[in-house]
Amino acid sequence: MPTPTDLLQGTLDLLILQTLALEPMHGWGIAQRIQQVSNDVLQIGQGSLYPALYRLEYKGWIRAEWGSSENNRRAKFYKLTAAGRKRLEAERETWDRLSAAIALVLAKPAEASS
Amino acid sequence: MITRLMTWLRYLLIPKKRTELDDELEFHIEQSTQVKVVQGLSPAEARRQALIEFGGVEAARELSDRQRPGWWFGTVVQDFRFALRGFKRNPAFSITVLLTLMLGIGSTSAVFSVVDRILFRPLPYQDSDHLVSVGLVAPIEPQEFMLGGSYYEWQDHQKPFAALTSEAGVEPCDLNEVNPVRLDCASVENNFLPTLGVTPIVGRNFLPSEDRPNASRVALISFALWRSRFQMERSVVGKIVKIDGNSTQVIGVLPANFEMPRLQSADVLVPEALDIAAQRRAEPGRPLWAFARLKPGVTPEQAKAQLESLFNYSLQLAPAPFRKEVHYTVRPLRDRQFHDVHQAAWILLGLVIAVLLIACANVASLLTARRAGREREMAVRAALGAGRMRLLQQAVIESLALTAAGALVAVFFAKLLLRVFILIAPEGMPFLSAAKVDWRVLAFTLTASALCALGFGLLSGMTHAQVDALTSRRGAGIRHARLRQFLVTAQIAASLVLLAGGMLLTRSFKNLESQKPGMNYQNVLTASLSLGQTAYPDQQRQMAFFEHLQRNLRWGPGINAVAISDSLPPGGPHRDRVYASLRVEGQPRLASGTGGNVAWRWVTPDYFRALNIPLIEGRGFTDEQVASDNRFVVLSSSLADRMFQGKSPLGRQVHLASNAPADQDPPFTVVGVAADVKNGGLAAGEEPEYYQLRRNRAEDWDRGGVVIVRSNLPADTLKNWMRTQIASVDPTLPVEIRTLEERVEKLADQPRFEMLLVGYFACTGLMLSVIGLYGVTMFLAVQRRSEIGIRMALGARRIDIVQLVLAAAGRMVIPGLVVGIALAFALSQVLSALLFNVKPHDPITYLGATAILAAVAVIATMIPAIGASRVDPIVTLREY
Repeated sequence: MPTPTDLLQGTLDLLILQTLALEPMHGWGIAQRIQQVSNDVLQIGQGSLYPALYRLEYKGWIRAEWGSSENNRRAKFYKLTAAGRKRLEAERETWDRLSAAIALVLAKPAEASS
Repeated sequence: MITRLMTWLRYLLIPKKRTELDDELEFHIEQSTQVKVVQGLSPAEARRQALIEFGGVEAARELSDRQRPGWWFGTVVQDFRFALRGFKRNPAFSITVLLTLMLGIGSTSAVFSVVDRILFRPLPYQDSDHLVSVGLVAPIEPQEFMLGGSYYEWQDHQKPFAALTSEAGVEPCDLNEVNPVRLDCASVENNFLPTLGVTPIVGRNFLPSEDRPNASRVALISFALWRSRFQMERSVVGKIVKIDGNSTQVIGVLPANFEMPRLQSADVLVPEALDIAAQRRAEPGRPLWAFARLKPGVTPEQAKAQLESLFNYSLQLAPAPFRKEVHYTVRPLRDRQFHDVHQAAWILLGLVIAVLLIACANVASLLTARRAGREREMAVRAALGAGRMRLLQQAVIESLALTAAGALVAVFFAKLLLRVFILIAPEGMPFLSAAKVDWRVLAFTLTASALCALGFGLLSGMTHAQVDALTSRRGAGIRHARLRQFLVTAQIAASLVLLAGGMLLTRSFKNLESQKPGMNYQNVLTASLSLGQTAYPDQQRQMAFFEHLQRNLRWGPGINAVAISDSLPPGGPHRDRVYASLRVEGQPRLASGTGGNVAWRWVTPDYFRALNIPLIEGRGFTDEQVASDNRFVVLSSSLADRMFQGKSPLGRQVHLASNAPADQDPPFTVVGVAADVKNGGLAAGEEPEYYQLRRNRAEDWDRGGVVIVRSNLPADTLKNWMRTQIASVDPTLPVEIRTLEERVEKLADQPRFEMLLVGYFACTGLMLSVIGLYGVTMFLAVQRRSEIGIRMALGARRIDIVQLVLAAAGRMVIPGLVVGIALAFALSQVLSALLFNVKPHDPITYLGATAILAAVAVIATMIPAIGASRVDPIVTLREY
C-alpha cells in the first residue's frame, strides 16, 4: 500500500524545513502554512507529517520545545537547528537542479513543434 | 558528525515518551476541531470530522515511533525477550532442544577435532600434497620400504620426482652430558629436509659432504630438545655435544612443528652417512624408507607407472622365492601415515554426521511442532498487522537464541567428550592426545549451529502467517505433519544404521575377548628394558646385566618363575622369519615362495613356565643346555606339524637361516614342542613360532629384553619390588613395568575404543530418534483430539483409538526400519575391516537391532496413544 510518505519523502522534508526557516512552529501550524502558501494544492496527510517531524528531529535538523500556542494551549514547537539550516540549503539546491532538469525535459516537445 | 552521533545515541538510549506524542497529536486534533467549530459545526461533529480527516491515530503513532534510530535493534531485543519468555514457559521443550543440540553439535565437534589432523589438516611440510611415500611391499613388511641395494639406482634414474630422499630409521641414543638422557636419533639423507620443504629455524641443513661415512659428526636438534636442554639459545649452533660417546656438532634446530614422515618421535637428526658404493653392491642392503616430491602435474599413479623398470631391477636383486610376493607402491604421504586409522576416521565422521542429522531433524521437528501449536497466535499477530518479514525475523531469532544456547553447552560437552575419548583411546591413534577443541573446531561448531538455526527458523517461519488459520479450526497442522513424519522416518533409518554398526562391533569385541590365548595371562609381571649404548657397549656387558638381574629376581620371595625373552605374545613386535629359510637337517628347503612368516623369540629356559605355555612334547629347555656349546630350539605345535608332518621332531636337527651362508646357519636340536600361542595380536591368527634358547654366551644377547616374572604376590607389591631390584643393578635404566593382563588389555584398546565410540553414537542416535518419534506421535494425537472425540462419541472403543494412533506411528516407523536395514546392509561393508569373526551381514545383529528399535518405538508411541484414548469425548466436542 503506497502511502503519501513514500511519494513525498524528500519533498516533504524540504517543505517542513523551509516552513520552519521562517519561524518556530507547531505541527498543526506547519500543515496549515504549507496548505495556505501552496494555495491549497499541497495538503499534508497528517499520517505522514508527524513521522516526518520525528525523523527530522532524530536527525538533528530540527529541535522541539514545549511552548504555549496563540490560544494559550500547551503545544510543541519545532525550530530549525544550524545543521537543519545547512541541510535546507543542500536540499534546496538539489530541488532546484531537479526541477530545472524536469522543466527542461518537459519543455522539449514544445520547442520541437514550434 | 559528532553531534549527529550524539543525537542518535541519546534517542537510542532514552526513547521518547509516548505521552509527548499523544499530547502533540491531541493538540493537532483540537486545533482542527476548533477550525471546524468556527466554520459552524457543532463541537461533537467538528471533532468527529477532525478525527476522520486525521486518519489512523495509532498508525501515525507507530510510524513516528519507527523513525527512532535503533528501532530495528529494539525489535530484535524485543523478539529475543519474547523468545526467552516463551522458552521459560515451556521448559520441557527448551530442555529437549538444548539437550538435542548439545548431543548433536557437541559430538560432532569432539569427533571433528579427533579426525581433523588425520583427514583434513595439511601435513607440516611445504606443499605436502605433492609428497609421496615410495617403496617395496613384501609380506614380511606390508608398509613400503626400500633397500640400500637398489635405492640409489632408483634415485639416479627415477623420472617422476623432483626429489627422492630417505631416512634410515630411528634408534635410541644417549646424550652424554652432565645429566645423561636417552633420546631418539633419526638418521636421514642430506636432502631429506629440502625434499620435505622444511628449513631449520636456526642454523643450517646437512651438507652432502657430512652425509658420508667417517665424515665429522653433525646433528640437528628438535625444537623441544632445544627448549628443554639448551634454553633456546641460538649459540647452540656450533656447540659440540656427545651423542653415544661421539663428539657431535650441533648445526641447527628444527621447527617446532617438525615431525618425521612416519611419525616416529625424533629428538635428534643425524646424517645416514652410508657408504653408497658399498650399498649398491650390497645384497639386499640397508633397509631405508623413501619419500619423494612429485614433479608438478604428476599423480602418484603416473609416478608408479614410470617406476616400473626400476622396480624390475629391484626384483632381480631379491632372492628368487621372494619375487612373486614383492610389489611396489607410490602413495600420498598422508595415506602412509594414517593407513590403518584413515578408514576408522572416515567411519567416525560418517557416524557423527548421522547423529548430527538426526539431531537437526529433531530440532526442526520440535520447532515446527511448537509453531503448529502457535498457529493461531501467529495468525492473530498477522491480522494485527505484523508483516511477513517481521514474523520471519521473530522465528529466526527464536531459533538463533536456541542454537546459540545449544552451541554454548555443546562446546563444553565437546571438551568433556574429547577428554573421555583421549582417556579410552588406544596409544596407536595418532595425534589424539594432542587433539583439542581449537578455533577451527569452534568455527565448525558455530557454522554448523548457525546453519541449523537459520534452517530451522526459516523452515518454521515460512510455513505459517496464514490468516485463514484463524477461521479454520483444523489449521494447517497437517502440512507440518507431513514434513515431520518424513523426518521421523529418516531418523529411524539413520539410527538403525548406527545401532546395527554398534552391535556388530560389540559382537566382534566379545569374540575378541573370548578367544583362547594358549597361555595364562594372570599373575604375570613383565618389564621391558633397553640398555643404553654407553653403559653397555657390547653384548658381553649386556648379557652380564641380564644374568645379574635374573639371579637377583630368581630367589625373590613368592616368585615362581623368571624368564627373559626379547618380546612377548600375544601382540607387540616380535622377530619374524620366512618359512622358506627353515629346513630339517637332511631335507631340502621349500622349493618356491616364502611359505609365509614364522615368528620367533629368544627365551631363557623358564619362559614356558612363566607364561604357562604347555609343552606338548619333550622337556623344553634345561639349565644344562644354557651352558652348552650346542644350540637348542622349541617349536610351536603348528610349526612342528608343518616341518615334520606329524612325526616326532624331538632330537632332530633343524636349520633356521638357510638363506644365509653355511657358516651362519648352524644346526639346532629340537628339544620340545610347545602349544600354539596367540602371537599376531588379538585379531590376527596364530603364526607358527619357534623359541631359540638364550645361552650364557654373549652372542645370544642384545640390548633389548623383556623380564617375565610369575608370582602370586599382589601386582602392586610385585611391581615395586621389581623396580627396586632393577634399580639395584642399574639405577639409571628406564624401565616399563606392566602386568601381562595390562598389556593384553592394551591390545584390546583399539577395538574397545571403536566399539565404545560406535556404541555411544548408536545410543545417542537412538535416544534422539525416540524423542523425535515420541514428539511427533504426541503431536499427531493432540492434533486429532477432536477427531478422536467424535469417533468415541460414535462408539469407538479405547483399543480402537490406541490402534489408530499406533497405526499412524507405524506408518512412520516401518518405512524407516526397512530403509534403515537396506542402508545398514549397504554401509556395513565398510566396517568389515574392523570386525573379528562377525560377518558384516550377520543376521542376528540385524534382527536384534531391528527388534530393539521396534520395541523402543512401540514404547515411545504407546504413551501418547494411551493418552489419546483417555480423551473425554464430551470435552473435545465442546471445544470443537
